[in-house]
Amino acid sequence: MSGNASPSPPASPEIDDGTKTVIGIAFGNTTSSIAYTTPDGKAEVIANEEGDRQIPSVLSWVGSEEYHGTQAKSHLIRNAKNTVAYFRDFLGKKYSEIDPTNSHNSAHPLDVDGVPSFNLQQADDETVSTVSINEITTRHLIRLRDSASDFLGRKVTGAVITVPTDFSDTQKEALVAAAKAGELEVLQIIHEPVAAVLAYAARRTPEAQGVDRNILVADLGGTRCDAAVVASRGGMYTILATAHDYGLGGLRLDEVLVNHFSKEFIKKHKVDPGNERSLAKLRLEAEGTKRTLSLGTSATISIESLADGYDFHSTINRLRYELSAKKVFDQVVSLVENVVKKAELDLLDIGEVILSGGTSHTPKIASRIAALFPDSVPVNAPATLTTALNPSELSARGAAIQASLIAEFDKEDIEQSTHPAVTVAPHLSHPIGVVIGEDNSFQTILEAQTAVPARRIAQFDVQADGDVIVRICEGIREIVVEKVERQVNVIAEAAIRGAKRGGKVEVTINVGSDLGLNVAARVIGTQIGVRGEVKPEAGSAQ
Amino acid sequence: MASVKIPKPLPTLPEDWNSESNFIVHAPLSPAVHRNLSPAGPHFLAHARRKRHSRTFSEDDRI
Repeated sequence: MSGNASPSPPASPEIDDGTKTVIGIAFGNTTSSIAYTTPDGKAEVIANEEGDRQIPSVLSWVGSEEYHGTQAKSHLIRNAKNTVAYFRDFLGKKYSEIDPTNSHNSAHPLDVDGVPSFNLQQADDETVSTVSINEITTRHLIRLRDSASDFLGRKVTGAVITVPTDFSDTQKEALVAAAKAGELEVLQIIHEPVAAVLAYAARRTPEAQGVDRNILVADLGGTRCDAAVVASRGGMYTILATAHDYGLGGLRLDEVLVNHFSKEFIKKHKVDPGNERSLAKLRLEAEGTKRTLSLGTSATISIESLADGYDFHSTINRLRYELSAKKVFDQVVSLVENVVKKAELDLLDIGEVILSGGTSHTPKIASRIAALFPDSVPVNAPATLTTALNPSELSARGAAIQASLIAEFDKEDIEQSTHPAVTVAPHLSHPIGVVIGEDNSFQTILEAQTAVPARRIAQFDVQADGDVIVRICEGIREIVVEKVERQVNVIAEAAIRGAKRGGKVEVTINVGSDLGLNVAARVIGTQIGVRGEVKPEAGSAQ
Repeated sequence: MASVKIPKPLPTLPEDWNSESNFIVHAPLSPAVHRNLSPAGPHFLAHARRKRHSRTFSEDDRI
C-alpha cells in the first residue's frame, strides 16, 4: 500500500482560482466520515481509498510508514503499542480530565505537561517520539482532507466539523488549532444532533422544514451515546436538553459477543482466549459479526488460530444475541427517556425521532425506542422506517450541507452570525393559538419554545354568513390520557363582521423580539379585515 | 410564508360583543425564556441576516 505512506501524495495540479472547496467532517471517537454536496445540492458521503465511508479514527505506525483507517485498525492485533485509537474526546482536555479506558488495547496516553500524549515509534530506527493529542488529531484530519481532495480532484480548503453537544470551548479551540496546523480551515463547528436534523431536513421542501415539532435525536456511537431534544420551529433549531452516557455504545455490544464466544471456545477447547492478542482478534471479528446480525437473523464468526493454535468457527442467531445484550438495550432506552424528562417534556410531546450513529443499525434498539412512541411518530432508523437515511452518515451529511450554505461567506460573516447576540433569542414560554369550533377548543398557531421574532399564518373556513371572532390566547399543556392544549389567558379578541359562507379567514400572528404582538385577520379576497397590536408588558423587553 | 389550513371554523361573534375598532387587547404575552438557537441550517442563516441588518420579515421577503 504505497499510497498510504505519509505524507500523502500531492493532489493533482491545484489551480487557485479563488473558488472554495468545502466538505463536512464527522469526527468521532470510533469512526470519522467526510461528505460533500453535489452541484444539485445533495449531500454525499465520500469513500476513502480503501472504499470506507465510516473511516476508523485510528492511526498506526510501522517504522516511518503511517497507516490510517481500517488498515491502522487491523494493526491493533500485531502492533497495538504503536496504534492510537479512540482519541477524539482527549482533544483539548488536560491529562487529569481524560478517561483512558478505551486506550487499554492500544497506545496509552501519557501526561506530558498536562497534555495527553503518546510515545510512538515513527521512524525506521528504534527511536521513540512523544506525540501530543493535537498532533495526532492534525494527522487524522489531514488524512481525511486528502481523501476528500483525491475524490473531488480539488484541494479542500475548508470544512464544517461536527462535535458532541458537551464539547467545551477549549476543546473547540483545540480542534480549530489542530485543523489549522494541517492547513484546513474550520468554517464552523456544529453539534452532532443538529447535523442529523439538517441531514433529514435537506430532503424536505422548505414548507415541510418549517413544520414545528420536537425532534428527539439519539446518537448511538461506539464508545458513547448522546441524546438531545431539538425544538424545530420554522426551520430553526433550539436544543432543549441533552443527556450523555460515556460507557454505553457499540463497544459494549462487541463485549457481549466476545464473552459469548469466549465461553464457547473454552467449552470446546479448554483454552481461555484471554491473552491480549487473542482478545484483539476476537474483538475485531465480533464487531463484524454484530454488523451481520443487523442485516440477517444469524451470523458466523471464524478466526484462525485464536489461542494455542486452535481455530474457532461458530454461529449465533439474532434472538440469542438480543437476549445477551438486553442490559445494553435497556440503558439506551433509559437514556432516551431521561433526555425527554430533562427537557421537561413528555414522550407525547415528541413529534419525530432520529436515530444516528452506527449502533442505530441494531434492529432491536430501533424497535425498543419506537415502542415508546405512538405509531404516528416517525422513528428514523433502517429497521423501523424504510425511507430512513443511513444513521452512520447523518453527521457528515449535515456538516456538508451547512458547509455548502456558508462556503461563500466571509470569515467575519460567519463569526457574526454565530455570535450570542444573534443566537440567543427569546423563546415563547407558552403556545399562542386561536379558539375554534363550537366546543371552544384551542388551536395552536405558535408552539411554545418558538424563537421570536416569529410569524405564522393560519386559514379558517367560514361555515355560515355572519360575524366571527378571532380570540387569541396563550395555552398550557396538560397531559390527561392524551395531550391537549388548553387556553389560559386571553391575549386579544378581534371581530370580523359580515363573513360569507364558504369564504376563508386568514389570521397572521407576528411576534416581535420584544414580545409585542401584531395580529391581522382578513377574509381572503375581500376588503373585510381587522388589524391590532398588543404592546409588550413593560419590562419584558429584551 | 405558507399558511396552515385549519379544518375547524372560528366561533361566531357573541351578541353583546362591542368595540369601536373591532379589536380588544386583554393582556400582554407571558415573559419569554432566553435560549440558544443552533447556528445551522438555511432558516437560521435567514434569521441571522434579518437580525444583523435589523430587517423585518416582510422587508426580508421583498429582497
